[in-house]
Amino acid sequence: MSPRLAPPSAVAAQTISESSPIASPPFDIIAAYRRILNDDSISMPVAAILALVELIEFSTAGTTFELVQALTDGAEQLKSRTPNSISLSAGVELFVAFVTLFPHESDSFDDLKAELVSEGRKYAQEAQTYRAKIAEFTFKFIKDNAVILTHSYSRVVMHALLHAHKHKRISVYVTEARPRGLGIKTCEALTALGVPCTVVLDSAVAYLMDKVDVVLVGSEAVVESGGLINAVGSYQLAIIAKAHHKPFYALAESYKFHRLFPLSQYDLPTHTPNILSFPRAPASSSAPGLGSPSASYTAALAAAAPPPTPARGLSSTNLGHPPPASASMTSDQLARNPEVDYTRPDLITLVFSDVGILTPSGVSQYLVGMFAG
Amino acid sequence: MSKQERRELQEKQRAAKEVAKAQPAKGAKAANKPSQASQDNQSSKKLSKAAEPSTPSLGASASAKSLNATSASTSQHNLTGTEAFGLRIFSHFGAIKHPSGPAKGDIHPAIVRLGRQFAEFAITGANARCIATLTAFQSVIQDYSTPPNTTLSRHLTTHLSHQINHLVGARPMSVSMANAIKHIKVEITNSDIDMPEQNAKDELCHKIDLYIRDRIIVADKVIRTTALRKIQDGDTILTYARSSVVEKVLLYAHSKGREFSVIVVDSRPMLEGKGLLSKLSSAGIRCTYILLPALPSIIDEVNIVFVGAHSMLSNGAVFSRAGTAMVAMMAQERSIPFVVCCETYKYSEGIHLDSFTKNELAPLSVSIPAASSEEVQSEPNLQILNPLYDLTPPTNITAVVTEVGVIPPSSVSSLPFALGRQFI
Repeated sequence: MSPRLAPPSAVAAQTISESSPIASPPFDIIAAYRRILNDDSISMPVAAILALVELIEFSTAGTTFELVQALTDGAEQLKSRTPNSISLSAGVELFVAFVTLFPHESDSFDDLKAELVSEGRKYAQEAQTYRAKIAEFTFKFIKDNAVILTHSYSRVVMHALLHAHKHKRISVYVTEARPRGLGIKTCEALTALGVPCTVVLDSAVAYLMDKVDVVLVGSEAVVESGGLINAVGSYQLAIIAKAHHKPFYALAESYKFHRLFPLSQYDLPTHTPNILSFPRAPASSSAPGLGSPSASYTAALAAAAPPPTPARGLSSTNLGHPPPASASMTSDQLARNPEVDYTRPDLITLVFSDVGILTPSGVSQYLVGMFAG
Repeated sequence: MSKQERRELQEKQRAAKEVAKAQPAKGAKAANKPSQASQDNQSSKKLSKAAEPSTPSLGASASAKSLNATSASTSQHNLTGTEAFGLRIFSHFGAIKHPSGPAKGDIHPAIVRLGRQFAEFAITGANARCIATLTAFQSVIQDYSTPPNTTLSRHLTTHLSHQINHLVGARPMSVSMANAIKHIKVEITNSDIDMPEQNAKDELCHKIDLYIRDRIIVADKVIRTTALRKIQDGDTILTYARSSVVEKVLLYAHSKGREFSVIVVDSRPMLEGKGLLSKLSSAGIRCTYILLPALPSIIDEVNIVFVGAHSMLSNGAVFSRAGTAMVAMMAQERSIPFVVCCETYKYSEGIHLDSFTKNELAPLSVSIPAASSEEVQSEPNLQILNPLYDLTPPTNITAVVTEVGVIPPSSVSSLPFALGRQFI
């Protein structure tokens, strides 16, 4: 990472300090964030941290206060421009706390900034090893011949599954995870590497739960209650697992620990009044009242573009027509659906993270200790 | 059973002894004039009621029994069992000792006044009592002069202890007060011996100011901004009795333009919710006022419950106004978030598993309306017990809003660690 980023930033910093020290740096944190995120192995929180590190490099701030101010401003910008900012906020929060509490021992502020930058980069690099560590922890909890159910696509779960596959015989069910259909991506990747894998419908989870030994899910964020925020469907997975007395394990890198305490599904920052709302008049189906979330949502959908699950009965009867509109959801209908949901801590058996294997209450104690001090 | 009988016998003997010792004249009178028994009974009952607050734990049951001992009729002997039973489970709570007569020792007038206010429940609420105590201590410290041959850091603590004892005599100490006092005593012992007395006193007063500011006032501000994020437009918020923090949270949320309505649930004997109700409704918040028995019929309308706390225990349980546990249980059953707002200085190291191990009884003046007071007290078969607090188990609590953030009850135990041990 660092060698690639260093030259342009150094040049830019120079020009800024020479020309106008007062003017706000023409640093586009969004662009930096997007560029970093292009690397497939970097997750949102780490990308946010790296983007903020670049912001420090460009910053003309002369005191810690100014710097933290610049960082929070940058973070706000990032959050406002990202459709689902929960996981990003976790990384941002971690880094801002780190900068605020960083021991101020250097002689000059520029030294301090340089130190912060190198520490930030070091952390990001170290963060890349977390998944292997978590895979190692998880490995001990997967028995030979285990049948594993997972949800959607998660890099850390993939890591854990592939690691387990090296030494044990495992087979995997993965949910399709509508609307983004990332389960298909998981299945393709696993099958390519020789892991027996089947995609199941989200609505078939209860049907298959008896066959499952263990449920593994990744996470967008692990929150202070010890609960979990993840792609929609995780909550019902957890409820069904609990009802069948199957262990439900969440895999999360520690930079996804987030000081957030959702009291209910509707207390999540991603919840908007549009979600779960009822359409006003059936006639005016063209979207005059649709806000930006739905637009970004459709954009995200178009990018992911999974084939909608065909409705078998209907499509076979209506021979002459293309897949009928009534069988798959319209984008307007999809826009009224959530992207993520919140899994309560009492449904989670354990959280595997790079700081250890924690119970949900252990996660919250870790978070309280980390940020309150 | 035999053990219990033996204990009863012992207690009876002890009671008899006490009667012989304390009220020989009255006992003799009662024995001599059985015709006056009923009238006498009444007066002695009143006497014992008056005496009851001044006698701690066992004394209370003993004095009650002395009544039976004096009017030695068999029918009332049977009653002894039930009456003793009623008292025995609660006897350890310690009835309230009214600071009667001149205060013992060197008690500062501010403390004497505060003691009266505590005893008469003129100042209630953990925060209010703590602030009042600390402010009174400031005047105690300012008026204090170190006696010869000792130092301020050594002697002032003992001087304060007398004041504290006087306050505890008026009403058992709240956890908030205990924590604050512990903090001040540490500050006193740490104060520099070589510092001029006035400077040391000024510094202590300043430290007390800081404590009030940081642990209570600023903490409340942080709590209200944190809690604000949990209040959405259109919410129906339920609260029980009256908590100064919850009041601040609701008023703040209203001032920030949140549209919500409040259901104030209240209950006898103190009916504290009325105060909250008038504050909220005069601020323009839509309110509903119900009593605790009506809770089941209204709870389905509720989105979130906010309550305050007397103290929070290290196992995550919350000690709060009696009735809170019932609200929590019902909210939990309907999966309505039950949120406790509590400053971290109310943290208590101990663990309680029920409301019986530690509690406080409301004095008669509080629990009975003055009009019917006479009538109720003269009823020989009636025992009035009004525990002031109950314990909400951690399983029924969704979250605790503190100044360090919203935490689950399971993390309450890591608060001292998070804040640094010296703060609690």
